[in-house]
Amino acid sequence: MPSVKNWQLGRDMSYPYEARYPSRQFAFVFNINRCIACQSCTMACKSTWTFSKGQEHMWWANVETKPYGGYPRFWDVKILEQLDQASPDGQTWSGAPADARDRPYGQYDGQTIFEAAHRTLSPDSARVLGYLPTDEEWNSPNIYEDNPVGPRGVRNRLSETGESLPVHNTWFFYLARICNHCSYPACLAACPRQAIYKRPEDGIVLLDQEQCRGYRKCVEACPYKKTMYRGNTRTSEKCIACYPRVEGKDPESGGDPMETRCMAACIGQIRMQGLVKIDADGAWAEDRWNPLYYLVHVAKVALPLYPQLGTQPNGYYIPPRWVPRPYLRQMFGPGVDLALERSGAPDRELRAVLQLFRRSNKIIFRYEVKEGPKVYDGTLHGKPVVLYDDTVIAYGKDGKELFRTTVEEPIYVRPAIHANSI
Amino acid sequence: MPYDDPEPDDPHVLVGVSLPGDASATREMAEAFSDEFAQMGFDGDRILRLFRTPFYAGAHAALQLLGEAEVARIVDESLRVFGRQRFRVRAAGSVGRRGSCPR
Repeated sequence: MPSVKNWQLGRDMSYPYEARYPSRQFAFVFNINRCIACQSCTMACKSTWTFSKGQEHMWWANVETKPYGGYPRFWDVKILEQLDQASPDGQTWSGAPADARDRPYGQYDGQTIFEAAHRTLSPDSARVLGYLPTDEEWNSPNIYEDNPVGPRGVRNRLSETGESLPVHNTWFFYLARICNHCSYPACLAACPRQAIYKRPEDGIVLLDQEQCRGYRKCVEACPYKKTMYRGNTRTSEKCIACYPRVEGKDPESGGDPMETRCMAACIGQIRMQGLVKIDADGAWAEDRWNPLYYLVHVAKVALPLYPQLGTQPNGYYIPPRWVPRPYLRQMFGPGVDLALERSGAPDRELRAVLQLFRRSNKIIFRYEVKEGPKVYDGTLHGKPVVLYDDTVIAYGKDGKELFRTTVEEPIYVRPAIHANSI
Repeated sequence: MPYDDPEPDDPHVLVGVSLPGDASATREMAEAFSDEFAQMGFDGDRILRLFRTPFYAGAHAALQLLGEAEVARIVDESLRVFGRQRFRVRAAGSVGRRGSCPR
């Protein structure tokens, strides 16, 4: 099996195909600290792409309540358990997070889903460790998560208040998910028809409906379970990253690349999506003033989802700061501690970049910070906070300014009745 | 949606157990929501509405566990820092607008 470089793992790994990289890669950062599971992203995607017959169970974008929920049910628990069984030495990392672009989280010493398959699966043609979820696991995207049941015996009606749900003294958070458009897609690796391909211009992973024969090898292989089988067409389907928008063909875009529907609909403004430059070796090319590059490689506050699986996913998450660290380390790798330290007390530049989230639906290719005066110096929840009236300017693909955002102190004019009340 | 008591072998019956949380995790979650939405330009009423709405189960659970007074205190603390500013977004070639909605 060919060897490819996986920078998230800090080492080379086996993959069924030789490495080939796009010039730019579709990538996104979600700030989970803001997500309230309003499901606007879910419905934006559903109403755009998967509203037809046979797509009832398809939720290309979904938000699940972790650690209890998942769609399909238990998807991450199941693949992690399989990986543990195939890799008795465990999913361990060595070294320490560092500044190197090709090894930012140390080195993963366990097995990936490709390596574990090579060792444990038969026949020899089996390429990826995975499993096919059952129909029961697919049919209820939010079962026992947030949705209260309706009154007993009354159909098609939900509780109007939801207070009847018991309150558990527990911890949880919301994990918004779409296809990660991985650099080493497991779905692509597993497809016997070579119906799945990665676009050289933007790294978006697409599934050719003409070529697909519905073998469901992709459904079995994708560890994130983001390819889905459609019974009435007997083909599989997956998130297409709203590629007409990313290409700038949406009428609203005026020719500029736009972010996907799920990003644009986000009420909590947790999402930023872009197209990052890729080096010849598959690592992110240095692009200091790209906001995604900054969040992932400079500030290091955004981390990949389950990097140990080995697909080099291109979705990154700013981890929730109230969740127990061991759980976060398993989910986001060894970069969690540094990410929480920095995102919990953002420095001046990070605070400025976080202001870029959802200020525009167009893709930001570069940003610039013009420093302004200090406007606040104090504490928040016992930690020091300093705020500046900095101007953050976002630029689009052609280098033209998209928008600029500033912080301003509101001016209150005392009403006449209180003009001399001091 | 279940309308009757489930069969013993119903695959939809919840088999998980809740992982015990503590007041500090709940408070930290409430602080995170409060800080983040204050930075987005929400005022105190809007943030508290978010906590009071039962369908935002995370925020609402924090309200139920910590109590309205404690959540109001947390929101006040966030607004003391972030509520003093308004973010102004000016799209290139257009008149600037206050607030934070990207539409």
